[in-house]
This record gives sequence, C-alpha cells and structure tokens, in this order.
Amino acid sequence: MASESESAAAAQASSFMENLMNSRNRDLSLFLPFILAFTNNSISSASVQDSSNPDQETGESTTPSEFSDRIILVNPLTQGMVVIESRSSSSFDSLLSELMSKEGQPPASKASIEALPSVEICEEGQKGECAICLDEWEIGGVVKEMPCKHRFHGDCVEKWLKIHGSCPICRYKMPEEDGDLNNKSENRGRRREIWMSFSVGNDRRRSAENHNNQTVSANSSSENEHDHAPEA
Amino acid sequence: MVDLARVQKELHECNRDVQVSGINVTLKGDSLTHLIGTIPGPIGTPYEGGTFKIDITLTDGYPFEPPKMKFATKVWHPNISSQSGAICLDILKDQWSPALTLKTALLSIQALLSAPEPDDPQDAVVAQQYLRDHQTFVGTARYWTETFAKTSTLAADEKIQKLVEMGFPEAQVRSTLEATGWDENMALEKLLSS
Repeated sequence: MASESESAAAAQASSFMENLMNSRNRDLSLFLPFILAFTNNSISSASVQDSSNPDQETGESTTPSEFSDRIILVNPLTQGMVVIESRSSSSFDSLLSELMSKEGQPPASKASIEALPSVEICEEGQKGECAICLDEWEIGGVVKEMPCKHRFHGDCVEKWLKIHGSCPICRYKMPEEDGDLNNKSENRGRRREIWMSFSVGNDRRRSAENHNNQTVSANSSSENEHDHAPEA
Repeated sequence: MVDLARVQKELHECNRDVQVSGINVTLKGDSLTHLIGTIPGPIGTPYEGGTFKIDITLTDGYPFEPPKMKFATKVWHPNISSQSGAICLDILKDQWSPALTLKTALLSIQALLSAPEPDDPQDAVVAQQYLRDHQTFVGTARYWTETFAKTSTLAADEKIQKLVEMGFPEAQVRSTLEATGWDENMALEKLLSS
C-alpha cells in the first residue's frame, strides 16, 4: 500500500507538467519554456531576485496597497526553488485562474442574465422542451433565449447562470461579472502563494522508484498547492 | 431540493429505450435520490461481455450539480479507482451541465471504458500498467470483467429457465435480464409491466 501511494504521488507530480501542456490550458504551454528556464538556474535566479529587494517582505506587509502574488516552484530532484512574483496582478491573475480552472466556468454577470430576451412560444410547430427541467414548451409560454439561440425557462436558466455562466447545451460563454475592482479591494494586503513541485524529465519509472523521498515531499507540497489556491 | 419531477422523467425516458442503449437506471430503495445504473461493457474492449453497476446518488442541487457516480462493480481501468470505484470524468465534476442526464452521463462512462485517459489517472497503478505493459493491462482488465462483471453462465441459465417457466418468451427473458444486470426480481417486474 505504501508503494502504491508513493507511486501515485509520483504520477501526480510528473503528470502535472503534462497536464499543463495538454488539457484545456493550451495557453499555459507558452509559459513552459519560461518555467523550465527558471528551474535550470533556479537557485541563482531566485536569490538574485531576493537580494535585489532585501526589504521586500517587510515592505509589503506594512503597505497593504501593494500586495503581491507568488508562485513558488519546487524541483524535488535538485531541491531547487523558484519564486515567480508579481505586483501588477491583472495578467498574473489570469494565469492563476487558468491554472486553477478546476471550478468550471464562473457565474454570468447579473446584467447579462437580465438582458436575455424573452421569447414567446408560438403555435407553429415549435415543439421542444426545456433541457434543464425536461418540461415541454407550453404554447403561448414565455421562455428566455440565450445569445447562442438556445431556449430555456427563465427560472431554470437563471439559476444555472448564477452558478456557471455557460449555455447548458453548447457551453457558449456568457460575460462574467466584471469583478476586478471588487476582488482587488477584497484581496488588498493579502498575499497569495502557490507552491508547486514537479520532477523534470520524461522517465516516470526513475522518479517513482529511485526518488521515493522526493516524491513524498512532492506529494505534500502538491497538497499545499491546494491549500493556497486562491478563490478565483 | 432534488428536482424529483425531472428524475422521474429521466427514469421513464431511459427505461423506454433500454433495449437499444443497454443502459438502465433503477431505484436502489424507495427514494429517488439513490439509484443504480447498469452499463454493458463496450464491444471490442476488455470489458466486453460484462455488466457494470454504477452507484448513483443525487444531491439536493441536482440537476444544477452533477450526480455522484461510482462503480459498484469492481473494474480495472486507469480512470476508475480499483479500490473505491471512484470515476475520474470531467462531466461528473466541473464540466457538468444541467442539459446532461443520468443516461448521457452513463453513456459518457461507457465511452470512458472504450477510451481510457491514462494521462489523467484516477488509479495510478492501473494507469502505469496501461502505459508500460499494455498486454498485462488488457489481461488484468479482462480477468476482472470475467470475475466481477459477469454472471456465471450456469447461474444465468438457471435464472432464464426460472422466468421462462413462468411463461415469458426466452428471447425477451434474456434481454430483460441483461438489461437489469441479471437481477431476477427487477427483470420479473419489468416483464410483468411490459
């Protein structure tokens, strides 16, 4: 059982990079050379950054208007560590939300839900049903039409769009709440950190069997990653 | 609150074309929130010939939240835990949509049996075997299907015989038994109501 959980951890860690490359986060592959380049001269680049800003830590914690976000990459093979830090958070936030896109499509904005046009079901052979409650249209009934032309009962689709802003049928993306300002004021002064750990290289067998110590630490730090995940 | 009207419609819809899809959903007990789905193993895969039971629990948020599904039948597959039966499938998590149904979700699980995704594993041991030693993987998966997902032919014949003696035609008895995962009582209920 122990070896099973260890190899599970190894697979998790080594598949992490592949998940970055494959999966839905195509854009992230653009960052890969950047991330890998950092890991190769990790310690030096990290320390350079630190030494150039010796008062960084204290400076930030005392001035809440200037918060910063960090991604900390840990290479379990070399024990190297990379810190990617950002002060201007807009582009960085999008990277984070891409990384943490486990939550699915965020809710649609209130305005966009209210703006959905109401359509009356005419008599002319408009048979069909609401894909959410599976009730058939009543002739003369009023339904909401999404920009993708898919129709649902108003109550049904509003309830869904407040949870996930995508069309239930075709996944057409509704505009999200423009919550940048709100989020910023909420997050002001809060530091967010993400710890990531991965092994470089394609040989899973090696990392699984010859580096058990590292893979255990990889597991624990990948748990940290979840703990520190921002609520994007 | 679970949308019970919708669940009832789904059950009705699903069981109407069970002969075509082979996918069946029945109540586990009295409640509409605990269900059992059965899917036939896809032809041309190590799961062929097996009948797989899926344990379904509907949360209060259904259909705005995905149904909780896990394999009740033991199965050897990279994206299904060989221990717990937990399924790694995006539409059962963040990619759920209320336009999906129990039937379409079960169809997706059936498709997952045909097309494993070893790069996004649920069971790391199975996934590594799938990638490194595919022949052994196929052998193990087939053995698990034989052992856990198949009713032994002897027992099956007995069940068919029993129902035929009650006066149902054999072909119908066989297909109904297959559709209900070889549950005698469920099959009898179905035969009586058809």
